This record gives sequence, C-alpha cells and structure tokens, in this order.
Amino acid sequence: MNIHPIKESIKANIQQSEDLVIKELKAEEKYLEVIYINTICDETQLQDFLIKPFFEIGENSHFLSYLLSHPKVKLFDSKKTVQEELISGKSVVFFENHIFLLDSKLDKNNTVTETSVEVTILGPQSGFSESLPTNVGLIRQRYPEKTLVIESTNIGSISKTSVNIVYDSKKVDQDVLNKVKEFLSSIEIEMFQSGEQLLDFTKKSKRTLFPTIMVTERPDRTAVNIAAGKVILLIAGSPFAMLMPTVLKDQMSAMADIYQTYWIGKFLLIVRYIGLITTITLPALYVALTSYNPEVFRAQLALSVAGSRHAVPYPSFVEVIIMLLMMELLMEASIRLPKAIGSTATTVGGLILGQAATEAGLVSNIMIIIVSLGAISNFVIPISTFSFAVRVSKYFILLLSIFYGLVGVILGVFMLLAYMVSLDSFGKPYLTFREERV
Amino acid sequence: MNRYFLYLVLLNMLTNVIIFVPKFLLQYRFDGMLISIIIAIGVGMALMYVDSLVFARFPGQGFPDIIQDQLNKPLKTIILVTFALFWFIAGLLTLLGYIDILHRFINPELSKAWLIAIFLLILCFVIQIPTKKVMYLLEIILFINVPFIVFIFFKAVTSEYLSWDSIFEAGTHFYSMPNISAVAVASYVFSGYTNIIIFNRLFKVKLKGVNFLIIFGLSILTLFTSVMVPIGMHGVDKVSEYIYPWILMVDSLRLPYSPIERALFIFLMLYINITVISVAVHWHVAFELMKGTFSRGKGKKKNRIVLALFFTIPILLVIRIDYMQPELLSVYWLIARMFFEILAVLGFFFFLKRRKV
Repeated sequence: MNIHPIKESIKANIQQSEDLVIKELKAEEKYLEVIYINTICDETQLQDFLIKPFFEIGENSHFLSYLLSHPKVKLFDSKKTVQEELISGKSVVFFENHIFLLDSKLDKNNTVTETSVEVTILGPQSGFSESLPTNVGLIRQRYPEKTLVIESTNIGSISKTSVNIVYDSKKVDQDVLNKVKEFLSSIEIEMFQSGEQLLDFTKKSKRTLFPTIMVTERPDRTAVNIAAGKVILLIAGSPFAMLMPTVLKDQMSAMADIYQTYWIGKFLLIVRYIGLITTITLPALYVALTSYNPEVFRAQLALSVAGSRHAVPYPSFVEVIIMLLMMELLMEASIRLPKAIGSTATTVGGLILGQAATEAGLVSNIMIIIVSLGAISNFVIPISTFSFAVRVSKYFILLLSIFYGLVGVILGVFMLLAYMVSLDSFGKPYLTFREERV
Repeated sequence: MNRYFLYLVLLNMLTNVIIFVPKFLLQYRFDGMLISIIIAIGVGMALMYVDSLVFARFPGQGFPDIIQDQLNKPLKTIILVTFALFWFIAGLLTLLGYIDILHRFINPELSKAWLIAIFLLILCFVIQIPTKKVMYLLEIILFINVPFIVFIFFKAVTSEYLSWDSIFEAGTHFYSMPNISAVAVASYVFSGYTNIIIFNRLFKVKLKGVNFLIIFGLSILTLFTSVMVPIGMHGVDKVSEYIYPWILMVDSLRLPYSPIERALFIFLMLYINITVISVAVHWHVAFELMKGTFSRGKGKKKNRIVLALFFTIPILLVIRIDYMQPELLSVYWLIARMFFEILAVLGFFFFLKRRKV
C-alpha cells in the first residue's frame, strides 16, 4: 500500500496549528513517522508504547509484530476516520507501508472530587470526576455484575460529546430503554457540554416545569439506581450522571436515607415532604389568611397576625411579593458570589435587611418568619433541579391565593397535583410511589 | 384493577352531602325515609351488579369502543350525545351546588362567575388527560382527603351535642310506605358505578365479589350517617328547615386544640378537592363520549370546541343561578337520573348481552 498520498492529504487537511506535532524517528534501517496533537495527547504514553520500543527492538519485522499485537494500537480504516481520531487525541503512526492509530488520549480531570451538591453525613463522600472512563470505572467498581451493559454514542453535531448509556440488561425495563434511545437520537444540538442540557431539551419538545431526568453527582446513588432498573447516562466532561426515568419520590429521596436505620430514614423522608408542602403553600396561605379569610383561625391567632401587620401600609400580597423577591435575589447572589464574600451577603441580606424592614414598618414580623421558613424548607429538597422547580411553583399558588383566597390555595395545590399526575418520565407516571426492589 | 371500581363508587358516596341528598331525604323523615333508603340500597346494588356484569364481557373497552362498529352513525351519535349530556349535567349540578356553598360560607364578596372560572380552568385541564391518569389523580385525592373526612365524621358522631333520642325518634317512623322519589334520591350514592362506561377501559380483570360487599357496607354507613347525624344535631323536627343540613351540622363542631377552631373550614377545604375530582370524573366521561362521536383523525379542533362549551355553559348558568333554584333542579335531576340509569342498564343488558365480543 502506498501511504504517501494519504500522509500528504492528512497534513494538507489538518489546519496548521501550534500544537500539531509531526515527528520522524530513525534508527539504523528503521524509519517511522508519527503525527499527533500534543495538547490532547498523552506524551508519556507515546514515549512508553512507541518511542522506547522503537529503539529497543532491533529488527523491522519484530517491531511490526509488536505494533500489530499491542492492545492500544489499531490498524488504519479510512482517511476520514484517521482525521477524526487525530483530532480526538490519538496519534497516527506511519511505519513501512502501514498506518496505525495509537490510542494515547490524554485523560484530564480524572480526579475524583468530593460531593458538593448532594452532601451526606454518612456514606461514601466522593462524587464523579469529569472524565468518562474514570466514571465508568467508578460504576463498574460499585456494580460488579456480568449483566452491566455500557453502550456508547455521540451527541452534538460540533462537540461530538461521547455519551455512555449504562444499564443492567437483566433488570432494565425494555420500554424505558427504547424510549431513552429514541429520545437521545431525536436530539439536535450543536454543543453538548453536560447532561443538564437534556433537561432543557425535554422542555423544548414538551415543556415541563418539573424535571423528569435526575442529575446526580453520587456514584453510590447511580449504582443503586442501576440495580433498580434505571438507565444511566454518563457524559464525557461532566461530573454528573443522568438517571432515567425519574419520578417524584426519586427527587425527594436522599442517599442518607439508606445509610440510616429504617425508622430514622422514614422520619427524614416525612420531614422532607412536610418541607415540600410548607415551601409551596406557606406564602400563599399567608395572603389568604390575612387578607381573605382571617375568620378561619381561632380569634387569638387571627388577632396576633393582624397586630403584627398593623404598621404595614399596603396589602399583604404586596408584602409577600417584596419579601419573596428579596429572598430570590439573595439566593441568586449567594450562588454568584465567590465563597469568601458569600457569607457576607447572607448576613447583610438575611439578618440586617430583614430586621430593618420590620423596624421600618415595611413588612410584618410574621412575614419574615414565613419567608425564611419557606426558604429553609426549600433547601431540604435533596435534588437541586427539583428544588428550583418547587421554587417557581410556589408563585403559581401565590397568584391564585391573591385572587381567590383560601379556595385559591387549595385549588392551586390540586392543580399542581393534577399537573404532576399528567407528567410522564419515559413511560413512568410521575407520582408513582411503588418501590422498586433493590 | 379492582380497587379503581371501588374509588368510583366511593366518590359519589362522598359527594352526596353537597348535592342535596340529605336535605331531600330529610323531608320524608316521617314518611318512609328509612324504608326508602333500604329499598334504594337494594335497587342500587342490583343495578350496579348487572352493569358490571355486562361490562365485564368487554374487558378494556369503553362504551364508545364497544358500539364503534355495531351501530350506524346517526344512531350512535344520538346515543352518545344523550349520554354525554347526562354526565355533563351530573357534574354541572355538583359544581353549581358547591359554588353556592363556597359563596355562602367562605368567599361571600367574590362573584360566583369569577369563582367558577377558576374551577372550570382546572377542570378543562383535568378532563382531557388520559383516562388512566384521571384515575391516578382520583386515587391520590381520595388518599389525601378521606382520612380527614373520616376524622370529621368521627368527631360528629362522638360529639356530645348529638342527641341520640332524636335519632331513635326518627327510627320509630320506620313502618310507613316508601316513597318513590326518596328511593330515587337515595340511590344516588351508588351511581358512581355508571362511570364504568368509560372507565371500563382500565378494568382488564373481573371484579371480585368482595368489592360489592365493601360497597354494600359503605353505602349503609353513608346513607344512615348522612341523614341521621343531622337529625341528631339539629333535632328531628327542625332539621328540614336548612338548605344544607350537613354543612351546618359540621359548623357546630369545634376542634379545641387545632389552630383552625371551626371544623367547617377544614370540611369545606377537603370538599373542594372531592368536588373538583368528582366533577372531573363525570366530565371526563362526558368528554370521552363526545370524542367517541368524532371520526378518527380530525378530533383536535372538535375537542377544543367541546372544551369551550364545557367552559362557557356553566359560567352563563351561574350568572342566572339565583333565579333557577339549584336545590330544586338538583332534586328533579336526581329523580330523573335513576330512571335513566335503569333504562340504560337494562338497555346495556339486553343489547350488549347478545353481542359477541
């Protein structure tokens, strides 16, 4: 085979750039040429697997059989794939009349990080890394089963991000698997950087408020969910795994539940659901019970609520909206700020502003309690994408309570329930509470 | 699924107190109310059994699916539209009744049209989701609300103001001639089974006998508490003076340790959910029946027209409601309903029994 025209066309097609390396190796009668991009290529691997043996192995035919039998070396397929592989980090080796591809991809960011979003007190503390092979390895370690299947695919017309679909072929629901694959093949996107984009994408085809895909950074959660028959997506370059299908009870469960005794786990779960209901309804209930139906409370309670509001110069819904907006701004600000200043923002916002606002008579004391209680309850929800959805849905109920009072709150909760019932996550009803066997 | 059938019947048992069943039955408390109730239990159970028997021959099929290829188009359309109208009115009367209650007891300043609009908005969303999901919603709503309702029933029965003497006095009028309209009204608590004409799509296995046993027990409990507890609370003579004997009865309950002292508010809040899901179930049946009249493929636009009708008709009615005496309308409808039910069930029995599946 004449390799010369192929070599030339590759050189011509690849745009000249700083990090492209074309190196010729010569030793006695042996001659070898290698092309790679040094920024995405692991040069120590190149050194170990190619350059050292090249000078150590004497004869041409011996070095050829070394290359042919090396597990990391592949024979040339076609010109197009050679170019793609070169861009993705492999080195192209020209030796005698053969072209080889040496897999010397640089695996950056493969350090396992500590969990930062889903923190637990007990149980494993490490999360995923940003490297795909490392993440697959983490799952394999935790799930040593023959039936574990790892399929590979690419998403993104420019980014060509490699995505691994991981599931247990014995436990997975075949319908769900087909729906997931159908969903992935339907995605048209240029830059696919992280799995969270899938959440946004489901919104485009069928806009939903609540996430139907779970995003997690915990390998232990991922392994447990594989055992429960779910389909996992691992995305190259993202320290988060996507779990499908995901229903409400998954969003409300924390890994801490299974690292506790049975009753403590159940108690924590109940507390979390109470938090969910509180954060959704509390501001709306305040408006309904102060402005519409104060007679619902027993007289003493109604009077003390009204007494705390006596200095406030506008209706209760204005007060609630001002305070909720302030809380949202505070939360957004504390995410954006660097960690060092973050605590200042919460002190200034939470303590000083709240205190000053009540003393100035702009909001009532009870309002401050309600807003902070609502915010704290919101933080109880373990999965952050879901807690954002809950943050939004409380405004819907607040709106209804402004126009309808207590009836509006009840109807709002009903509507939210009906909406959740109407949702599907890859064929699973969203409000199902049936336990999968783990 | 067996329990779904139970939910459908249970739903109507719960709504009976707001659709004027107690008020009307109490008018006959000296003239055969009790015997009428017992006859109604017999009639209701028999109708339910026959109907479930007929539909058990078509597992997984609703009424429109069954007659799809059996009848010619105009006849089919007439039958389905008549049925749909009946189910629409069933839901409508429940809704109007409850709007009236809310207007009286919770939001007297809010106009009824404005109040009903939000109910209709939610209903329009709920009735168009798939039948299976309406059922899921029904299950969830019952699970959340029924424990509290049972608690209030329990509070009522154990209340120290409940006069058992009045109840026994009503019992002494047991031996009198039954009244046909009282029978018709009392049999309303069973008529949840009629929703099977659409919800049969979910029933793939035969209903077990134990379901009927549970329904039998619950119906006795429901009917007797819904007339006897108001009698015990208000006294046997004056009980029929009220339009809403049940709701005023609940208003006399006090929860001394709860932040909400009057049980009435809790009761009404719970019944908002029960009412909405009850209307949603009935209207879902009506909506699916209307869908059965459309030929395949071009349903979308017509669905919207039907939804628009479901939205506008109640608003127009509620504006004029004070001139129409809803309690009287409800009673006429309750009586008409039983005859329609008997006719329909007999029709199903003779017509569908002969058909091969």
